Amino acid sequence: MSANARDIFKAGLIGDNPIYRQVLGICSALAVTNLLANTLFMCFGVVFTTALSNLTVSLLRRHIPKRVRMIAQVLIIASYVMIVDTLIRALNPDIHRFIGPYVGLIITNCIIMGRAEAFAGQNPPWPSLLDGLACGLGYSLVLIVIALVREPMGFGTLLGYPLPARELWWHSWTIMVMPPGAFFMLAIVTWIARSRFDAQKETPA
Amino acid sequence: MNRNAPGYVLGFMAALCVVFGSGVATVHYATRDMLAANEQLNHNRVVCAAFDLPVSGRAAADYVRAMEQALEMATVQDGRGGIRQVYRRVDADAPVLGFTFWGMGFWDRIEGVAVLSADLQTLIRIRFLDHKETPGLGARIEEAAFLDQFEGLRPDWTASPERRVIIGSAAPAQAGNRVDSITGATQTSASLMQLLNEELERIRELDLSELEFKSLKETAP
Repeated sequence: MSANARDIFKAGLIGDNPIYRQVLGICSALAVTNLLANTLFMCFGVVFTTALSNLTVSLLRRHIPKRVRMIAQVLIIASYVMIVDTLIRALNPDIHRFIGPYVGLIITNCIIMGRAEAFAGQNPPWPSLLDGLACGLGYSLVLIVIALVREPMGFGTLLGYPLPARELWWHSWTIMVMPPGAFFMLAIVTWIARSRFDAQKETPA
Repeated sequence: MNRNAPGYVLGFMAALCVVFGSGVATVHYATRDMLAANEQLNHNRVVCAAFDLPVSGRAAADYVRAMEQALEMATVQDGRGGIRQVYRRVDADAPVLGFTFWGMGFWDRIEGVAVLSADLQTLIRIRFLDHKETPGLGARIEEAAFLDQFEGLRPDWTASPERRVIIGSAAPAQAGNRVDSITGATQTSASLMQLLNEELERIRELDLSELEFKSLKETAP
């Protein structure tokens, strides 16, 4: 991996992580993370869409008329989201029944539009594809961490499989299944990540 | 070439629409058989749940087998031009009938299956096939806490057509034809009440003695 590619991935995963650093894509992060399987499908959708929409916008960046560039980007993003939505509906209809409304909302996810506008519109295809992948994976990383806590604590399962000997030690934390559990987990993950990774020290005014 | 010229802008957007529209259509076409099979599996699951049929496994064939053993089906032309499926349970002591129903919810069409006693005096169970209500609010019509209220509900056939089943507080809490609405989903509750009452009226108008029930093996495509 070249230094440039490494920097792009480092920024997407840690330095400029879309969730805990830029606070984008929070709606779906809160909604789908009470089950790991739902989270993985959502992450697949976002990684797929971010990567391919970045690549496409970059390939077309010299041809897209400036005055309609955002309309063109929305059209490209919406097409990829519809493809993801159809694939999930075909491959796993049970999960689609739960996350279907949020898959549709990927179209308005600020991460994807933001990367297309801020990065892919000004950069060549290969770095743009990597940037899309990195941002999608950065989003996925935080969602998976949250789901890895919420599902075991709320349901006593992981990917639907019961935790070992759970009848002996596990007690349901119903709040982890509900939206407040997502808010608490997101705040805790953001707190830990920022205190661990933020190199930039806040200076007193 | 001037990228801001109106002709270029229109041509570019038209080309983009054609290319990406074709891509989406191709994926949809390639998965059409899987989507149809999934829809049929969902339909069978909901019918089995509505009739509380014993199902030996979770595979599509298990649901088909359970339905073939316990149910007969007839179809009837609905007054609105649609085809209503009517199921009759043949393996139970007390005869029960299941009807597909549909109508407008708050956002979009709600479809479901209602199982009633053969004299239509008792609603035994309802389950939903499809809806587009708001997740976390109107979509809670699928939760057991809401659905369980319909078990044993007795539509008041003497009441006005729009109040045979009541969802909400506009009736004594003990009324036999009333269930609680969903907090935060007033419009979904009101829409569901309206569509259920309209559909119950249409079901009552059916001449059930004229229906020709057939084994599901005969009616399978």
